[in-house]
Amino acid sequence: MITVSEGIWYIVYLLGYGFLLTAVIGLVASWIDRKVTARVQYRVGPPLLQPAIDIVKLLGKETVIPAGASRFAFLAAPLLGLAGVIAVSTLLWVNNFHPSEAEAGFMGDLIVVVYLLTLPSLSIILGGFASRNPLASIGASREMKLILSYELPFVLAVLVPVVKSGYALKLGAILEAQQGGVFIGSWSGLLAFVVVMMCVQAKLALVPFDIPDAETEICGGPLIEYSGAPLAVYRLMKNMLLLTLPLFVIILFMGGVGYEGLGGPESGYTRLSPLYGALKYVGVVALITVVRNTNPRVRIDQAMRFFWGPMTIIAVIALALALKGW
Amino acid sequence: MTREEVLKDIQTKFGEVIIEVFDKSPKRAYIEIKPTAIVPVAKYIFRDLGARFNIASGVDAGTHIEILYHLTIESINLLISLRVKLDRENPAIDSLATSFEAANWIEREMHELLGIEFKGHPDMRRLLLSDQWPEGVYPLRQDYEEWDETAIRDRGV
Amino acid sequence: MGMKLKALLKSPWVFHLSTGSCNNCDIEVLDCLTPRFDIERFGMLLAGSIKHADVLLITGSCNRQSVERLKRMYEQVPKPCLVVAIGECAMSRGMFIHSYNCPVPLDKIIPVDAYIPGCPPKPEAILAGAVKLIQKVSGTA
Repeated sequence: MITVSEGIWYIVYLLGYGFLLTAVIGLVASWIDRKVTARVQYRVGPPLLQPAIDIVKLLGKETVIPAGASRFAFLAAPLLGLAGVIAVSTLLWVNNFHPSEAEAGFMGDLIVVVYLLTLPSLSIILGGFASRNPLASIGASREMKLILSYELPFVLAVLVPVVKSGYALKLGAILEAQQGGVFIGSWSGLLAFVVVMMCVQAKLALVPFDIPDAETEICGGPLIEYSGAPLAVYRLMKNMLLLTLPLFVIILFMGGVGYEGLGGPESGYTRLSPLYGALKYVGVVALITVVRNTNPRVRIDQAMRFFWGPMTIIAVIALALALKGW
Repeated sequence: MTREEVLKDIQTKFGEVIIEVFDKSPKRAYIEIKPTAIVPVAKYIFRDLGARFNIASGVDAGTHIEILYHLTIESINLLISLRVKLDRENPAIDSLATSFEAANWIEREMHELLGIEFKGHPDMRRLLLSDQWPEGVYPLRQDYEEWDETAIRDRGV
Repeated sequence: MGMKLKALLKSPWVFHLSTGSCNNCDIEVLDCLTPRFDIERFGMLLAGSIKHADVLLITGSCNRQSVERLKRMYEQVPKPCLVVAIGECAMSRGMFIHSYNCPVPLDKIIPVDAYIPGCPPKPEAILAGAVKLIQKVSGTA
């Protein structure tokens, strides 16, 4: 049984790391994304607090539930997604800050994270189908097809750090194994990093894979009937994902928010330099933004062919190289 | 066939139903015919001369209601307009919708806006006016009067 | 001014609704979203669905069929919501004032907060109208 003090620590981790820290950094990252997009298109972008103001404004609007929609599923779907993101962020931050202590992580928490990361997409599908709107159903079914297509290369590429760190399914063990050199510096790690970045782009529903969310085509996709507080929760969930997924990628491939360079043993995890961590994170977000701004949107069948074709082959090659030891 | 040959051909074939031929310009010709003969003349120009049925236009000209059927022969750059004049009390004419698919909707529109009856039209429903519009009121006629009590027609200044 | 309204004015999402227009005003509204007259710097985004909208940009003289749909759509917008009438046709039906198909002007059907004259109004005029609307609402509330 857990003691009271442990229980209090768990609550602190959940609310502090999982919710507050993730929300603040996620909103800043969303602003970075919008500002860079605006600058690339030669215009001035929104001010710094814009994503936060969007969410506050949405909390003040009324919630209109369509007639005939299933009330419980309609209102519970965004909360399900938000709960998934909070849980994943808590696990990732706890492993990042205390990788080798006993209270961090447990055997198999990598699998738990991969499973929990499907919850945000599932919540969008649930919300779409609970809306009793044909356009929302089209958007939700496209999201389903997208999940089917990118989960396979995603899991294969996530197996690469597992293999390279000595077959340990613990995030803390993966972080410790990178003390000798981050995984992205090796061939298999680089290939797996590319595959995971493409899957992250699809998970975040950003161009070129923002098929479910297609604004001009199907008027907002699964979220067409959402307004007010549930929509605010969905937007908060998407902004928080913009922190969670790059953090997951950094932990798997770049040694976490720490002080390691690209392949040189520098120091242990007792020294956390925020500057390097921030640079890694901003680099990953910048990569996402650059891919977002330079590509058109693809159709759903092209996306499926892309993920089941080239991406799976590259992931299998990376896995083979990792098993070989490169 | 050139333009003159086309007009001469129509005049020889249907001389007894043609009332007047008006050569407006090198690209346009107006042929006025009797209302009873519209279907054979239009079918002839469509099938045998290779024309395309463009559109039909109707107008309330005060003393009568007239319809113009526009057919184009694109290979010689000619637009033939067949004019029929109908009387105002009871405008009725044979429908072209069974011969040309393109005439279906324009005849529905002319029926609901001008009150022309097309005999033999397969599907005479409302096309453009809203569902609350009363039956029997034809807006494009000269003697149309405002029936809507709630309409606001002054600018308020 | 309440925080609800303050947040609304700093991030108004626009939705464009045409009630039977000739599409000139629609093209000018679309111009406003291009990089030259960037409206994202005011926090405005083009909303895809009317349930995400805060400001309705209405063009077109309201003909009989679109009036019934307009009423239904106005009920679906989550309040608080601002309505802007763009162009002469939305203000007073313009040259269609005696038409048999446009019985009433827009502001007899739904409450309008701002009018932007012009046929069609330039994008600069639309932006100036939007800014004036924000100033008006924040000045009185």
